[in-house]
Amino acid sequence: MKKDKLLDELLLSWENTYKKGQLTLWIFMALQESKKYVDEIKSFIEEKSNGTITCEEQSLYRSLRKFEVIDVLAYDLQEGNKGPDRKYYYMTDLGQELFDRFVDRNIKLFHSTEIINILKLNK
Amino acid sequence: MKTITSYLLWYALTVAVLTIIFRYFLSFGIENNSTAIITVSATIYGFLMFASGWYFGHKDEEYLPIYDIGFRFHLTTYLVHGAITLLWIGLGFCSKNEDTDISVNILIYWGILLLIHFLFFLWSRKKTIKNLDKDDLFE
Repeated sequence: MKKDKLLDELLLSWENTYKKGQLTLWIFMALQESKKYVDEIKSFIEEKSNGTITCEEQSLYRSLRKFEVIDVLAYDLQEGNKGPDRKYYYMTDLGQELFDRFVDRNIKLFHSTEIINILKLNK
Repeated sequence: MKTITSYLLWYALTVAVLTIIFRYFLSFGIENNSTAIITVSATIYGFLMFASGWYFGHKDEEYLPIYDIGFRFHLTTYLVHGAITLLWIGLGFCSKNEDTDISVNILIYWGILLLIHFLFFLWSRKKTIKNLDKDDLFE
């Protein structure tokens, strides 16, 4: 029991650190799929990460504003169901290239046979 | 990139209002030889200026973390305070007993400090991409 509790605490601590840098990747993945407005990005992240990544709307807006400033994201205004127009975000050419290079360098390595085998070893 | 944000403009407006009120009470205190009015108005002015800078600065940072080590807010304070002070003197609103050289000298010395702040600001820009902190971009 003590071991289980320790394991849970360690896992939680590791996941908390791991997830901190994940929001950007999930935002980009959401927009790689299609243009989305904030609520759709949020739903995409929560759904596709099986609820392991949750994001507050404020931090999402803050990240999107920063990405707009550095020209990796832009948006189109489109009419919403009610209320003001919605901002539909998409990756700019710079953003797409940044995402592609990030995935090449940091994500694709998990697809190498060697790494797949290592990850399978402990199953 | 947008550096004049709505929170900075609200701050500028607050500084303008506070400075006009402060200048009024300062001149009134000097006119009436009241150390108490001068001291109290200067203390309250200092406190409210700090509080409004703190409030709007935090709001501004939450909206978009522009990495400028406080320079935009410092420059705004200097420009608004300086403009109102010079206008106050120029339009003859100050007390007859007021030594206007003191106000002008304060602006000169403050300007030198602002220049030093500007140099630190230029140096800090090495850590930024489009005025945002490199280390904070993809948090």
